Amino acid sequence: MQIKQLEDSMEQAGYVTDPAIGMAVHLAMTLKKPLLVEGHAGVGKTEIAKVMADMLHANLIRLQCYEGLDSSQTLYEWNYPKQLLHIKLEEGGPHSLSEREAAIFSAPFLIRRPLLQAITATDAPPVLLIDEIDRADEEFEAFLLEVLSEYQVTIPEIGSIKAVHPPYVVLTSNRVRELSDALRRRCLYLWIDFPGFEKELRIITRKVPEIDERLARQISQFMETARTLRLAKLPGVAESLDWAHALCSLHADHLDENLIHETLPCIVKDADDVKRLKRELAGKGIERFVSAGSLSTAQ
Amino acid sequence: MTRALTHAMIAFAATLRRVGLTVTTESVGQALRALDLIDLMDRDGVYLALRMILTSRMEEQTVFERCFDEFWQLYTQWSFQPEQPSTAAAQEANDLETSEIDPATQSDALVQSIDDVEIDPTERLDLPGQSDIDVLSAQDFSTFTSDQLQEVARLTTEIAKRLARRVSRRRKPSRRRGTLDLRGTMRANIMRDELIDLRRHARRRRRVKLVLLCDVSGSMTLYSRFLLQFLYALQNTFGRVETFAFATRLTRISDLLRGSSSYQLALASLSGVRDWSGGTRVGESLRQFNERWGRLLDPRTIVVLLSDGWDAGNPDLLAQEMLNLKRRAGKLIWLNPLLGDPTYEPLTRGMAVALPFVHTFAPAHNIDSLRMLARHLTVR
Repeated sequence: MQIKQLEDSMEQAGYVTDPAIGMAVHLAMTLKKPLLVEGHAGVGKTEIAKVMADMLHANLIRLQCYEGLDSSQTLYEWNYPKQLLHIKLEEGGPHSLSEREAAIFSAPFLIRRPLLQAITATDAPPVLLIDEIDRADEEFEAFLLEVLSEYQVTIPEIGSIKAVHPPYVVLTSNRVRELSDALRRRCLYLWIDFPGFEKELRIITRKVPEIDERLARQISQFMETARTLRLAKLPGVAESLDWAHALCSLHADHLDENLIHETLPCIVKDADDVKRLKRELAGKGIERFVSAGSLSTAQ
Repeated sequence: MTRALTHAMIAFAATLRRVGLTVTTESVGQALRALDLIDLMDRDGVYLALRMILTSRMEEQTVFERCFDEFWQLYTQWSFQPEQPSTAAAQEANDLETSEIDPATQSDALVQSIDDVEIDPTERLDLPGQSDIDVLSAQDFSTFTSDQLQEVARLTTEIAKRLARRVSRRRKPSRRRGTLDLRGTMRANIMRDELIDLRRHARRRRRVKLVLLCDVSGSMTLYSRFLLQFLYALQNTFGRVETFAFATRLTRISDLLRGSSSYQLALASLSGVRDWSGGTRVGESLRQFNERWGRLLDPRTIVVLLSDGWDAGNPDLLAQEMLNLKRRAGKLIWLNPLLGDPTYEPLTRGMAVALPFVHTFAPAHNIDSLRMLARHLTVR
C-alpha cells in the first residue's frame, strides 16, 4: 500500500515516523495542501520538511520566521547597491531615462527571498518550509495567506508572477501565539506529540547507533516519566538524543543516580526544573523513572 | 465513492459542527477527496486522514475522536445495508449523538439566569437621571437598573473602541528620524542623478496584546454583567485579545465573545462558565491559566485581572502564580470594583497577597474608571 511505502522511504531517509505523520505527508503531497505541523519544541517538526525534500529530490527552501518579518525579507527586495552602481556607470551613456529605469528594475537586480524563490522554481516543485510561523506577526500571517492561496505575487515594476510548479508547503508552529483560523483552515493539520516509549527508543537507536540497548530503553523510560512531571520546559526528543550522546561518550551502559545527576543539564535547562527533578529523584529514587525490570535485564 | 460514505461524511460534518468545530463545505469536499486516496477498510487510516483535514487544533482532537466512532459505525452500517439511509434517519442519528452537549439547552439556561438577575428584587430603582451621561459615568455598576443597561452598553463599547484605537496607534513614517529607507530613497530620486531626497522610516510602535481574566464568581455578580459587556466590546474591537472567565476554574471565552453577533448571544453562550454557587479560587484559576495558556504571554502582553480579590483558595498558590504571571507578562493590571469605595482598603487576604505583584491597581466600578484604563494600556 502507498502509505506503507511512503513510511518506509521516510525511514530510509533517516526519519523515524508513525502512521499519523505518514498520513500527513501522504495527503500533503497528493492533495497539494500546505501542512501545518504543531507540537512541542524538539519533536521533529522541521525534520518533516527536510525528509519530504529528500524523498522528492526537491529543493528545500526555508523561511525562518521572527517578529517584524516583512515582505522585503520574505518575498523580494531590489538590490539597491547594484542599482546605484548601475546608475553611476550609466551616467552620460546613450540610454534614455526610461531605458535606464527598465534596466535597473529588471530581474538581475531583484533579490529573491524564500517565498519568491519557491514560486519561481522552474524545473520541479520545491519544498517550502515556513518555520515557526507563530513567531511572525499577524500581518505577516495575513500576507502569507494571500501568497499560499494563489501561489502568485505581484511585483509592481515587473508584473505578476505565478508559480509554474506550486511548492509543497510545510508550516511549523510552537504555539507561542495562536494562529488565525483562516490560516488553519487552509492547511492540513498535524499535531506531533512527544513520542511514546517505542518510538523514542527507535529514534535513539537510529540516531545514536553505538548506544547500548539497555541504556537506550532506560533513557526512553526516563524521558517518558520526566515529561509527566510539571516542568516549565518539557524535554523533547532533541534532549533525549543529546543525553544519549553524552552518556555514550561517558561509556555508560546503564543509568544510575550519580550519572543522572551529572548529566541532568542535557535534558532540563531551567533552574527550577533541575531542582524539581532532583527532588523527585531523591524522594522516590531512580525506580520512579526507570522500571526495576530494565535495571536488571539487558535487552 | 459510495453513497453510504458520502452520507456518513455529511452526517459526521454536522455532528462535528454541533460540538463546536468549524467544518466548511470545502473541507468536507477535501475530506471526500482524501478518502479516495486511502484504504477505506483501514479504520485507523481513515481516522488519521479525516482528523488531519477536519481539525485544525490539538485541542479539537479529543472531541473529534469521540465523534469519529459514531461516524465509523454509521458508515460501516450503511455500507452493508441494501437500501440507502433516509435523511430522517441521519438526522435522528445526529440527534442521538449530540443530545448530551446540545448548546441550545445550555444557552436557554443562561438566558434564564440573566432574566433572573434582571428582576432581582434587591436591585435599586430609586436612581436619578435615566440617560444623563455624567451621572451614568460616575454611578457604581452595582446600582444600575435594567433600564440604564442599554446606555451603559453603548458607553462601554465606545470606550473599548477608543482604547483599541489608542493602543494600536503606530508612529508615522518620518523624514528626519529613523533608519534610511533605501527603497523609498531610490524611488524618490529615480529622476535625478544624485541622491538628494533621503527617505527614512521610523520603527513602528509595537502593538500590545491583551489578556483579560475576569472573575465571574458570586461576589462579582453585580459587576460582572457590565465588565463582561466591556470585555465583549474589547474583544470585538481589538484584534489581539484573549479573554478568560474564572470563579473556581478557568474557561477561555475569547471565541464565544468574538464569534457572537451580539452581546446577548455572547452572554448566552457563556452559560457553562458561570459558577454562581462556588466561591473564588483566584490562585487555582491562575495556575490553570499559566499552565495551559502561559504561551500567550510575552513582554508585550498586558494582563488585566478583574476581580474583587475575595479568594477562598490557598494564598501561597496565589502568590506563586501571580509571580509567574508577572515574570512572563509585560504588565499586570488588577482592576478591582471595590476600589471605587473611598473607604475600601485592600485587606482581604487574597488582595493583600496579590498586591505586591501588580503593576497597576485601579478601580473598575463605573464608566469613568473604565475610561481611565486607557492610561495603563501601554507597555513601557
